Amino acid sequence: MGQTKQDEEYGYDLFPERNARKPTQITIRDSLFTFRNKCQVMLTFAMETSPYAKLLLSAMKNSGCKVFKDRHFSCEDCDGTVSGGFDAASSQIVLCQNNIHQQAHMNRVVTHELIHAFDHCRAHVNWFNNFRHLACSEIRAANLSGDCSFNNEVSRFNFGLKEHHQQCVRGRAVRSILAVRKVSLEEAQKIVGEVFDSCFNDHAPFGRIPHGNKDAKFAYREYMNRDRYYMNL
Amino acid sequence: MLTMEQLAERAWRPPRTCEDYLSEFRHCKSFRNRFHHYYTYGTAPSCQQWKADYHNCSEWERHKLTEAKDALQKSERRRLEEQKNFTPVWKLRQAPPGDWHRPLDQETQQDS
Repeated sequence: MGQTKQDEEYGYDLFPERNARKPTQITIRDSLFTFRNKCQVMLTFAMETSPYAKLLLSAMKNSGCKVFKDRHFSCEDCDGTVSGGFDAASSQIVLCQNNIHQQAHMNRVVTHELIHAFDHCRAHVNWFNNFRHLACSEIRAANLSGDCSFNNEVSRFNFGLKEHHQQCVRGRAVRSILAVRKVSLEEAQKIVGEVFDSCFNDHAPFGRIPHGNKDAKFAYREYMNRDRYYMNL
Repeated sequence: MLTMEQLAERAWRPPRTCEDYLSEFRHCKSFRNRFHHYYTYGTAPSCQQWKADYHNCSEWERHKLTEAKDALQKSERRRLEEQKNFTPVWKLRQAPPGDWHRPLDQETQQDS
């Protein structure tokens, strides 16, 4: 394609292995000297045990976007401290095997990226040209994935209590936009501000903001019982 | 011989099991949930509706009271309405994206 400038503008430079443009060939070197195996194992565990991930996978299947681990997930080495990404062009979730070392972190990244994938599946999201759409999906992902839980914020030394969750969601959405698009901080903040109320209140497919695994299990139970629910409304 | 309406009436079940209503109420009132609600919204959660729903659910299971059924349906419909309390930023699709299942090899062979 030769469009390196465009790739940079869309954040593709954070994911150097995506630019190779050749079919993935996993070598023995990859297996022995990278974190690929660990990433694969943690990914499988997340998909099978995290109620957040199970709900999203179920919702995506019902929307016509069944997720296949080998097709829709890719463990790769990434630049910087980024943990993952969603590539709408190839319908793939990228997991940064060199930056994810704990299962809890993997669970959160998988949930976060699956929310992007879910939005891509159920709505006409213009990832590349519409900053409001991008901001909206980032707000939802930060809000619903547990990124902004009290414990996670404390571990980042961000201490706050009353309505701190919302501050965290705004901040992380702005950061996510700045990481992948060439806009100023003020512009990113303005865009997030414009769509915040709408997107913060869009809890699909959870039906609530899951604050932890117990909430997520309740949301999953609710989702699995939705046939009975809607039939008796 | 029962009419279709009577059959439908008899076939009706509460949208959730009564155990679900009770567990939602208990979860709502737990310290953990109250803490997280304050952390998110700056207010205390309102849990009374779950309690009322559990009560109506039990009444329906025991006595098949129409008032209990109506109250439950009204409560759940209101809960659903509250979920939709926002204007979407994007347009929803009628069908999933066509290239979701497209094999990766095809993509790398394309020259665009």
